[in-house]
Amino acid sequence: MPDPVIRVRGLTKRFGTRTVLDRVDLDVAAGDVTCIIGPSGSGKSTLLRSIAFLEAYDEGDAIVFGRLMGWRETPLGRELAGERELAETRAPLGMVFQHFHLWPHLSVLDNVTLALRLVSKMGRRDADAAGLAMLEKVGLASHARHRPEQLSGGQKQRVAIARALAAKPKVMLFDEPTSALDPELVGEVLGVMKTLAAEGMTMLIVTHEMGFAAHAANRVVFMDGGRVVEEGPPRPLFAEPSSPRLAQFLQTWRERAL
Amino acid sequence: MTGWLSATELVLFAQAFATTLAISVAGILLAVLLAMPLAVALRSRSALLRRSARFYTEFMRGAPLVILLFLLYYGGPSVGLLLPATTIGVVGLGFYGAAYFAEIFRAGLSAVPRGEVEAARLLRLSRAQCFLRIEVPQAARLCIAPATGQVIALVKESAVLSIITISELTKVAGEISNMSFAVVTPYLTAALLYWALVELVARLGLRAERILSATESRTHA
Repeated sequence: MPDPVIRVRGLTKRFGTRTVLDRVDLDVAAGDVTCIIGPSGSGKSTLLRSIAFLEAYDEGDAIVFGRLMGWRETPLGRELAGERELAETRAPLGMVFQHFHLWPHLSVLDNVTLALRLVSKMGRRDADAAGLAMLEKVGLASHARHRPEQLSGGQKQRVAIARALAAKPKVMLFDEPTSALDPELVGEVLGVMKTLAAEGMTMLIVTHEMGFAAHAANRVVFMDGGRVVEEGPPRPLFAEPSSPRLAQFLQTWRERAL
Repeated sequence: MTGWLSATELVLFAQAFATTLAISVAGILLAVLLAMPLAVALRSRSALLRRSARFYTEFMRGAPLVILLFLLYYGGPSVGLLLPATTIGVVGLGFYGAAYFAEIFRAGLSAVPRGEVEAARLLRLSRAQCFLRIEVPQAARLCIAPATGQVIALVKESAVLSIITISELTKVAGEISNMSFAVVTPYLTAALLYWALVELVARLGLRAERILSATESRTHA
């Protein structure tokens, strides 16, 4: 098996005295679509945010394409990586957030092109062309001149996906991308994500959409209490959970779904 | 002229108005310039910087402007600081006002959702780029209304400069009152002139607000 693109080992994160991630191990191989499911407070989002180093994890390793994320090993222990080093390690990652976090003072197109111009040093014309192509991909090229506040939640999230994709990431992290959406808007976002998955994008998705996890993922990770309780291909995992905790979680979900 | 102002008094008022305007503009410009690094320091990751800035703003907001001016004007010479009264007026207004503007700017910057900055950082914008392209433009729009209010407050507080012998509006109104034995006319004139100045500031503030929101809605910012 080739080296995983993301390798998490013994990842531990505490908020004060509370341990939210407890020695988590996780591998993501190229082309994997991995869904992380679990109850609220199980540490799913913190795991994703730690991999991107939006949270500074306390122990263990989050290794992205062979590089330790966020920390620098020194003979005296770990110290925070410098700004440039962190940016380089983050380069293969794209991220989409529950609450979109579009920049409200910029047009839809500028949201997608800002990083292209400032980070990739593209000219305005090239950046706009690339940005429009990304918006086309999520079906929103016609909204390029709109402002984020003029869009529906589903459209905002598609713009956020386009913004992340424009930087040509190798792995996409999704942190509950549909949890803030009205039910009838969930489909358009999941649709874009399915297309991405079909194109071979490596994806790590924290989600409550069990249907999506069952059909689009090739691997599902169930977390509870800051630990990975169970993982495997979706079909057997959903059909015959081996841990009582997952069985109970799925049972609750099925009851609520009816 | 009976009841209203003589030609000499009109000239004195005109000069005083110009002085109030000039000192206010200079003092407020200084205040805003000082407030920018101060606001950044108030949000710094360095505790030392943060606490120093916090101490400064708390002290300045805690002390009346009159006291600060007395300290500079009467206390200055005892430590070899001999400055003209107008300089003290501008510096006093500037250092005093900076504390208030810094708090306004800090609040504006803090109101920008953290997630927007995280999104920018993950797209590898540098801290400086995040600050200038994401935080400042949004904070500016949020700050303009409270900052306008603060400018108005400082213009009116400049009346205090009369006690360190600066011939601004309030001082001149008092002098004319003493000379002419009239009370209502000179002070009412001064009040109307302050009001005119404040009205001007308020209108400029509204215009700035409109311009900033127009920039925001432009398709290419």
